[in-house]
Amino acid sequence: MAWFTDRHFFLLAVAVYGLSTVYSVFLWRKGFRKDDHVNYLLLLAAFVLHTVAMVRRGFSINHCPVNNLFEATVFIAWSAAAAYLVIGLLPKLRFLGAFASPVLFAIGVFALMPELDPPHGPTPQFTGALTSLHAATILLAYGAFGLGAAAAGMFLTEQHDLKFHKLRAVLSLLPPIQRLEIVTGRLVLAGFILFTIGLEAGRYLPRAADASYWSDPKVIWSAFMWLVYLALLVSRLALAQSSRRFAYGVIAAFIFLLLTFWGTNLLSPLHQPLHHP
Amino acid sequence: MNVVVIGLSHHSSPVELRERFAFAETKIPEALKSLRNLGFAEAVILSTCNRVEIYAATTQEPAATFAELKQFLARWSETAGKPEAGSSRCDDRTAQRAVPTNIGNELYTLAEPQSLQHLFKVACGLDSMVLGETEILGQLKQAYALAQQHGHTGARLNKAFQRAFHVAKHVRTHTSIQRGSVSVASAAVELAEKIFNSLQDREVLVIGAGDTSEKTARALRSRGARSIIVASRSHERAAALANELGGRAVPFDDWAAEFEKIDIVISSTSAPHHILDRAKLEPLMKARKQRPLLLIDIAVPRDIDPAVNFLENVYLYNIDDLQAIADDYLKQRQDEIARCEAIIAEKVKTLLETKNLQPRTSTEGHGLNAAPAKL
Repeated sequence: MAWFTDRHFFLLAVAVYGLSTVYSVFLWRKGFRKDDHVNYLLLLAAFVLHTVAMVRRGFSINHCPVNNLFEATVFIAWSAAAAYLVIGLLPKLRFLGAFASPVLFAIGVFALMPELDPPHGPTPQFTGALTSLHAATILLAYGAFGLGAAAAGMFLTEQHDLKFHKLRAVLSLLPPIQRLEIVTGRLVLAGFILFTIGLEAGRYLPRAADASYWSDPKVIWSAFMWLVYLALLVSRLALAQSSRRFAYGVIAAFIFLLLTFWGTNLLSPLHQPLHHP
Repeated sequence: MNVVVIGLSHHSSPVELRERFAFAETKIPEALKSLRNLGFAEAVILSTCNRVEIYAATTQEPAATFAELKQFLARWSETAGKPEAGSSRCDDRTAQRAVPTNIGNELYTLAEPQSLQHLFKVACGLDSMVLGETEILGQLKQAYALAQQHGHTGARLNKAFQRAFHVAKHVRTHTSIQRGSVSVASAAVELAEKIFNSLQDREVLVIGAGDTSEKTARALRSRGARSIIVASRSHERAAALANELGGRAVPFDDWAAEFEKIDIVISSTSAPHHILDRAKLEPLMKARKQRPLLLIDIAVPRDIDPAVNFLENVYLYNIDDLQAIADDYLKQRQDEIARCEAIIAEKVKTLLETKNLQPRTSTEGHGLNAAPAKL
């Protein structure tokens, strides 16, 4: 079984996320009328495989598996899946899985690109408790933002159906839109708190004497993302921004995060020390 | 011993005929006693607005049984036709109804296995006027309890009724026959539950005190809506309705001032023009800090300009929209009938097989109020 690596486990997990995505399309077409547990169980099965993959990777490097883009991306998806499995215990929010599984599948496929997972050197590039805290909290934050985007997608779908008097809005078993609005807001807030803790921890990480902190592309990008989410929260909580615009903002911010996360990481000397000697 | 049923329902007869045969609740024990004197040791009388039925267990041939039960019904209705202090579940005037001159073909008579199938269908709400409604199950339980309490049930009816209650529960759990709202008022409540996190603490404004708006407000109140504000051109009517619903009445011209607090509006005035349009609602929504607002317009002509639905966080539904929801649920329930009937057929078959397996004893027919067999 030695040939069956953590990547294979993750590949299986992504395949099950894919299966869940296909099943979600059927749920959508059926109008979310039956509270079945199939999708939840599929995501639970994928999560178990996903966890095994991460644990194996962690043991193989004797460190929290957040050392390269593959591991970081896998961690983001894992935290989103974990958050969903907790939220999905509430029957009314179980259908969030139908919106989360395409996101998890997309992140999983992206993570499997070989360039993201170069072989480790004799020792991990990053070590230390503070580094683990920095990486883990930020990746958990991304997971919360991802699940928030899924909840926002669910909100917009249901709101559209209610506005345009689609019967499925009433006949479906989706939760009330006000609850989805609350869930989205709380996920973004939780993500923002974790993101802040993670960024703050990053400030105190040891770095090379000549490494510039505030000119590093990833630091600038992270500060920008922090401001984006701060603006979203302030507009929502203090300025009573409309829930529809907030939902669009949450989705747009997460898509932007996903699209730029890889690029800024590659450009960052702080996060790619081997490539930027 | 076979279970038979004789009766009439909204399917077979008009209300004018049904009311002649209705049993006042206080008179049912006496009627059951009369049935026992006729040789029907086990009997249950179900008398509701939509049906009057006698379920009996007998060893006689069905034809003879039905003839006897028909005569009993005729005699009973003549006796009960005299004014008396009996209470009815539907109408207080039941006791003063006209005496029937004849019993026509409106009476249906069913012997096993159809009688058991009928009992199960009644328990499941499949024979009800509102398909799948649950009130009938409560009425059936009450009728059975009354008969049991007075010692008019035995092993056969106990088993049949207990099984009917069990089947009703099974059908409710495993099919969608009772799912959804099939009335405009309950569709409105369901809609509100799709918008608001909870109906607790929601304030409802009723503009114009019509019958449907009253039912809708009542349904919202029963689901936890905090308060009802009523605005009607007739302040007396508004005050009466508000009093009934535990709310408060406001002058008709002041309803807009309540918008800051309220979450749901039910409008049913007889105004010939829109009483609420986009220009009027836009500043009100700002004052409400864009909280969701459900507008239910059940007036014809409509009270609310459809253009308000384009405003953020405003959800406008008119009478046709609500009726469409109710109709769709009804269609769903109708689609479930075949599944329910298949379950019922299976359960009746099992019940009859159990009966056939049981050895006949000399005490059969005398086991009144025997403990119901485990189902």
